[in-house]
Amino acid sequence: MQSKTLGWILLAPTLLILFFFGVLPFIYVVFVSFHQWNPFAVDPEMVFNGADNFRQIVFDPAFLNSIGVTVLFVLFAVVSELILGYVLAQAFMRDFPGKAIFRTIHTLPLIMAPIIVGSVWKLMTTPSIGIIPKFLDDWFGITMNIATSAPAAFATVVIMDIWHWTPLVTLTLIAALVSLPSDPFEQAQIDGANKRQIFWHITLPMIAPAVVATVFIRLMDALRTVDEVWMLTGGGPGSATRFVGVHIFKEVFPKTNYGYGSTISVVVLYLTIVACWLLYVTMLAPRSKKD
Amino acid sequence: MKKQSPIIGIVFWSLVSVLTLFPIYWLFVISVKPAVQLFSTPELILSDPYWGNYAKVWGDRLLRSYMLNSVIISTGNAVLCTVLGFFACYALSRFNMSGKESIFFWTITNRMAPPAVFLLPLFLLMTQVYAVGDWNLLDTRIGMILVYCTFNLPFAIWTLRPTLDGIPKELDEAAYVDGASAWKVITEIVFPLCRPGLAVTLILTWVFAWNEYLLAATLTNFNARTLTTGLSEYVTSTGTEWGIMATISVFTLIPALIVFGLVQKHIVAGLTFGAVKG
Amino acid sequence: MSFAFKIGASALALTVAATSAFAEIDAAWWKAAAEPYQGVTIRGVTESSPPSLYIREVLAPEFEALTGIRVDVETTSWDQMFDKAIKDMEAGTGIYDMAYIEQDIIYSYLSRDFLTDLTQFLADNPDLKAGTYDESNFTTFADYFKDDAGHLYGVPMEAFLKVYLYRTDLFNDPDIQAAFKEKTGRDLAPATTHAEYAEIAQFFTDYGNENDMDLWGTTAQAHTGHVASWYEYFESVAPTFGVYNWGIDADNNYGASVENGGEMNSPEAVEAMEWWLSMRDIAPPESPASTWTEVGTTFGAGRAAQGLVYGENAGWIAADETKSLVVGKVGVALPPLKDGILEEVEGGTGYIGYYDGGAFGMPHSSKNKEATALFLQYIGQNEVQPDWAVAAPRVTNTATYDDPKVQEMNTKLSGYYDLIKDKGYLFAGAPAYPFHAQVREATAPVFYQILTGDLGVQEGLDQMAATAETTLTELGYRK
Repeated sequence: MQSKTLGWILLAPTLLILFFFGVLPFIYVVFVSFHQWNPFAVDPEMVFNGADNFRQIVFDPAFLNSIGVTVLFVLFAVVSELILGYVLAQAFMRDFPGKAIFRTIHTLPLIMAPIIVGSVWKLMTTPSIGIIPKFLDDWFGITMNIATSAPAAFATVVIMDIWHWTPLVTLTLIAALVSLPSDPFEQAQIDGANKRQIFWHITLPMIAPAVVATVFIRLMDALRTVDEVWMLTGGGPGSATRFVGVHIFKEVFPKTNYGYGSTISVVVLYLTIVACWLLYVTMLAPRSKKD
Repeated sequence: MKKQSPIIGIVFWSLVSVLTLFPIYWLFVISVKPAVQLFSTPELILSDPYWGNYAKVWGDRLLRSYMLNSVIISTGNAVLCTVLGFFACYALSRFNMSGKESIFFWTITNRMAPPAVFLLPLFLLMTQVYAVGDWNLLDTRIGMILVYCTFNLPFAIWTLRPTLDGIPKELDEAAYVDGASAWKVITEIVFPLCRPGLAVTLILTWVFAWNEYLLAATLTNFNARTLTTGLSEYVTSTGTEWGIMATISVFTLIPALIVFGLVQKHIVAGLTFGAVKG
Repeated sequence: MSFAFKIGASALALTVAATSAFAEIDAAWWKAAAEPYQGVTIRGVTESSPPSLYIREVLAPEFEALTGIRVDVETTSWDQMFDKAIKDMEAGTGIYDMAYIEQDIIYSYLSRDFLTDLTQFLADNPDLKAGTYDESNFTTFADYFKDDAGHLYGVPMEAFLKVYLYRTDLFNDPDIQAAFKEKTGRDLAPATTHAEYAEIAQFFTDYGNENDMDLWGTTAQAHTGHVASWYEYFESVAPTFGVYNWGIDADNNYGASVENGGEMNSPEAVEAMEWWLSMRDIAPPESPASTWTEVGTTFGAGRAAQGLVYGENAGWIAADETKSLVVGKVGVALPPLKDGILEEVEGGTGYIGYYDGGAFGMPHSSKNKEATALFLQYIGQNEVQPDWAVAAPRVTNTATYDDPKVQEMNTKLSGYYDLIKDKGYLFAGAPAYPFHAQVREATAPVFYQILTGDLGVQEGLDQMAATAETTLTELGYRK
């Protein structure tokens, strides 16, 4: 039909912007990652050190720990958001009075800036003064101190993330459910399939692309999380919530360890891409090939 | 579908809504407390609100300019990303270009980058490379609009692609047969059909840009500072002014709320994210 | 009774008050000197703090009115401020004409030659030298911003001591005094030793508990994920046990472990850490989530009977009714010390606490050095100091102590200014390390593990010393 030139012209502005603000900085970061560079070292210049940084990273307990807690965080947060989001989306499929209002309320957390979310949750959970620890103590006799208990801090960060981002999942799943055709469901009911069978064999496969795309966005945003955690726990207690985003931040900003910080970023970016690529090819690509 | 008593729905959603609203309510409570009360015993019910923080924030000349910057940057960025994302998706969806699926996947990798380390090269590029004479991109609104594209443009492309894929190609082909130009097909036939998807993309990119902190804090100094960076001015050496911060936060919520409320109904229709079309 | 902390609200009043200073300032000279720089805008970056806000809201507009040179000051949070200043100076961009230099970062900046030698600059440009500006006007705190040749690289704009604050209302309450005497056999008075401090702390924590009050015996800046806790230990606790300069021996190849000539894991360091942790355990429950700001808030909310508090906060805690519940109930004293430390410090070794503050320097990359030099001199004059000291309690010039307004403040602050003036020499700034932030960040994660109990004190300090040495080797300081 049309000449491909038009396609490239339409794509060009996007590619140009991403090249100048995404690719060029990335090349710079990759370049720096092969150097030892701290502007406050005795030698403040960049010194090429081959793959030393990459060798070091494999045995760096601080980095491995941050990867570990990040994976746990992403797992807990994203899985909970998916389940919760699905349940809520299903609940929205029914009609009930005030649905529009409830849906608006449910989307409110989305519009809050992460740095604000972190601040509010910090104030709500300050040991002994925050409203949550206070009422847990008054009503149930439970002591909650996110500054001394690693599980409490971790759980708070996960809950905060769920609170903030479940609405996005709900919205996408509502959209997916709304657009489902009704015939397969009617057919299945006629064939006598039970609820669980319908979910696993009909609903899930049909909303899978939406689920994967949502997981994608949430996964990469969760991996980059800095602001909220920075405000809430600063990565503590100890390193319990020092997620890679926070870890890199501390490595690059206060420590000015530009060389090694770049290495960590390159590795993290690589791991993220691989994880997302696997998801993409297994779940989404077969569909686009069919077209 | 099954009939259910509406009461269950209302009770269930009221419960969910209380949980959802509580932190926002608490933000408001903090904003109407004088500093001296902050470390006193918290009360669940608000009594005797103090409006001093609001007066202070409202009267702050700097914060007003930050607000204006925020509006311009996030609106500019959202419009740019939505339009460019639409063009890109049209290209990806309609033309049989080699490697287009790889390009599609590659765009999203731009959103995956851990931001902290990319600040230095962005700073260097903006001050030393993207410069004409004395003028450079750092601390400009246009600079921030372009920088925000690194995370919003991929998002726009990923939300719009399924929408474009969902519009039958036969429609444009028929128009071409009738002798319409490509521009006409794109703007007058495809574009209107994508409206719900475009609305969602616009609003979500707008919200992401509106809420961004780290890039704005680092890449602006005087002229293009946004409202979120204004928050960090209240983390002072003699105490974080939580009351003021909460008040600014409430102010940041209002425009977001308005924009979000306006397009609420489009959101559900537009967020199809690759759902299978019947 | 209105206390002028709320800079924004009181800026106008202060401007009016400050105009009296013009009488002494030679307006004609400033106008003439600034003549070539009309229309120039100079820009600075600083941490958001009351003294900085005073510059932005009062001194900068005043200076612009006098000279026609506009001054823009960007105020931001502590960590952002460093990053932005460093990026600008490292790349030589010239965004900033002035940068806030906290005392602990000056050595890093000097090691990279980021800053203009102000003494030299004014000597080279005699036309720009104001008659009312003289380096000898500054207190000894300015020495931290001088190089070996005695040249100044920053105009001091704030200076504080981290002091021992106690609640005079509690300490002077006859019932409490009697109860304390009965329990301990001692008279209740501000502690001079760690044992006394611990006894008082335990007493008040128990007292709060028994009387169902929100009161504890001590503060603790013991955040488990923020470097504030690291600072409290190394700046304010370890020195009182005789461990100075983070336990790193700069003259001994930067050894940190006892093995290599350092003291970071010495018995004294362990003793200090154990004592401090025992204090944290009887401090208010928010202490493990407290940075310097929360410690101030805790004390200001009346939740602690005594504590070590940064001087920036001592001011508003003692005098600002809009933020503090303990106005007029705060006493100031020297921190409690181990036996023999005071003699050691008087003898010229070590220090008993932290003398903190900052200055405004001029990066080499500045494109408006002449105009900037004028402004830096302007804020360094004796004439602008008293009102500034009242608005944001800080003293950088010797003459300021004697001003009646400052004397009045001194009374309100229970003699805090006298303490700086008379005992300031016992305190010291951060050690002269260009690797300040780097070693701090490298050792901090281990430090947090000691706080959370994941590591024992000895084991943790051993690991910190080892980490410090590794980092110093990587950076090239330790051979």
